[in-house]
Amino acid sequence: MTTHSSVPRRILLQSAAAASLVGGGRSAVAVDPIKIGMPVTLTGALGSIGTQMRQACEFWAKQVNAKGGLLGRPVELIIEDTAGNPSNTVRKAQEMVERNGVRLLTCIVASNEALAVAPKLAEWDAIFVSGDNGDGRLTGESLVPNFFRPNTSGPMGTRAVTLWLRDSPMKKFYGIGMDYAWGHNSMDVFEREAKRAGKEFLGAVFSPTGTKDFSTYITKIRQSGAEGCYLVLAGDDNNAFLSQANQYRLGDKVQLLTEQVDEGSINAVGDAAVGLVGGSRYPATLDNPANKAFVASWQKEYGRLPQMFEGDQYQSCVVLQAAIEKAGSIEAAKVRAAMEGLVVDSVKGRVEMRACDHQGEQAGFVVKVVKKAGMERPVPEVIATYPAKRITPACNKMSYDD
Amino acid sequence: MDLLPFLLVQCLNALSQAALLFFLGVGLTLIFGIMRIVNFAHGTFYMLGAFLGYSAARLSGNFWLAMIVGPIIAGGIGAAFEVGLLRPLYRRDDSAFLMVTFGLTLVLGDIIRLLWGVDALQVAVPDAFAGIVFLFDEPFPVYRLFLAGAGVVVAIAIWQFLERTRLGLLIRATSQNAEMVHALGVDVNLVRSGIFGIGCGLAALGGVLAAPLVTASLGMAGNAIIDAFVIVIIGGMGSFLGSLLAAVLVAFVQVFGTYYFPDFALAAMYLLMLLVLVVRPGGLLGKEA
Repeated sequence: MTTHSSVPRRILLQSAAAASLVGGGRSAVAVDPIKIGMPVTLTGALGSIGTQMRQACEFWAKQVNAKGGLLGRPVELIIEDTAGNPSNTVRKAQEMVERNGVRLLTCIVASNEALAVAPKLAEWDAIFVSGDNGDGRLTGESLVPNFFRPNTSGPMGTRAVTLWLRDSPMKKFYGIGMDYAWGHNSMDVFEREAKRAGKEFLGAVFSPTGTKDFSTYITKIRQSGAEGCYLVLAGDDNNAFLSQANQYRLGDKVQLLTEQVDEGSINAVGDAAVGLVGGSRYPATLDNPANKAFVASWQKEYGRLPQMFEGDQYQSCVVLQAAIEKAGSIEAAKVRAAMEGLVVDSVKGRVEMRACDHQGEQAGFVVKVVKKAGMERPVPEVIATYPAKRITPACNKMSYDD
Repeated sequence: MDLLPFLLVQCLNALSQAALLFFLGVGLTLIFGIMRIVNFAHGTFYMLGAFLGYSAARLSGNFWLAMIVGPIIAGGIGAAFEVGLLRPLYRRDDSAFLMVTFGLTLVLGDIIRLLWGVDALQVAVPDAFAGIVFLFDEPFPVYRLFLAGAGVVVAIAIWQFLERTRLGLLIRATSQNAEMVHALGVDVNLVRSGIFGIGCGLAALGGVLAAPLVTASLGMAGNAIIDAFVIVIIGGMGSFLGSLLAAVLVAFVQVFGTYYFPDFALAAMYLLMLLVLVVRPGGLLGKEA
């Protein structure tokens, strides 16, 4: 299934007309679109996240094309479903590069997919701008020159929660994570951070992706005697866990913490999400001019607030846009040079794409899911904001010194 | 947690899970036993059940109605599919059925995506079962007790249906020798459509009942079809009692396996299947060895 995002034909025609005018009678040449490859998980356990990310990309592309495109060229999105399988992702990305001439990639959902794609980037001479990939290694030991991460990483999301944790009266913690790269990586970071904050880490359990019955895991959490339980779950697994934890009244005894609170989950589980505390990569309520403009036009387009992965992916698109404009080209070497050190004021405020490890330095947020009068669904409310310097780890690092 | 409450809670966890696995596996095994068709679309009917249940519960405000309406609609679609697309293929070899039912998973999956969208949907536990009971001070959801009970009731109902009713007799006869039953003047095609519809309806019932635990989502089908095949293979292709036994066995292995060997949570079910296949290649209660 390939869907080519609608490039307004008008732009092509206008560009063609302009070219023929400038060319003074020489044959009219339509401007090549800037093709952006999106091997995105739209089905399977992480499909709901991929769908958010795709929507953000489409929204961004529409905005850009409405203003005449990028470098005078229309943006064309080439979207393929990977179903979350890394070997699929590599194959589809390769097809995009070889068949469609794509040199820019984004919107890859899972970290294991991103880790599979990264080593290929040099061979493809392509730039990959992460929109949500969390694994700390992508800007650490697995960093490749053509990879950039303008979004909040897993360790950064965890960092915001651990900073919040230091002030909390809770002492003993347990964890449950998804049994793949992201789950283990984030749990390691949390364990280290919790210990550094003088808390006791009682252990963690990992559930295979696609787990449906969490009853045994809930038993284990309850038996651990922890006051808080850290969740590194996403998509359907997260929804199943929260629904079932609520049915077992786990929240009465254990404060559930998560690396990230996403609205997709809140919509899927409703009141079962109430009380959950976690980082948010992007809360739509942020008070800055870029975000207000973004939220207003998003609401006009879709009639609802943007969700977390939509905001984060959108920021990545805006960073990519700024880099292309600064480079004046989409050649990998030029975009890379433009990206390094780039500062963008986007929906989350100031983001600096530091040159040393290609991680975007940005603020971190902690939210709590609350029930508000007049709203059908519970909403995440910002309870703490931390500055970029405290949130972003040192270059190539996944952990923090303090 | 002391040993006794722990064992009680874990056994009830396993039984509630066994009920869901049974609803999933029994339809597949009935269809295979009678029609010799491997219904690849079974997981999709399970997912369809969850979404139909969501809509029925939302429109009527009544989960009980959803439990009836979801399986009936899904069963009707299944029966119509059998009449329209499977019946013309009975003279072909088995691969034709695989292709057609696999095609149905794709079409039905996309229809569900178009009708309900891509987001996971919340299905609330019915109010009557939303509470908890305390088992030695351990809170346990009433809904899980209900699931285990529903599993027992449905198992007995299917058993009685197959053993005591005339239609059940015809179904058993058709599974043994369809041509002879046909020669005796019974409309075998009707029996086949019926059993395909019932099988799909049972999967959908599983989906309706699972939705409060896992939400209604597009990821359900892929997971479910694998579980359903494992149940059918362990229990023995076509064996009703086998699917019941397999569902209970798999649920207990999963619940206790996950507890004691969390690193092998995923492998436990397949190791069990491997073991059964080595000892009894036809499944626990399967006919051919």
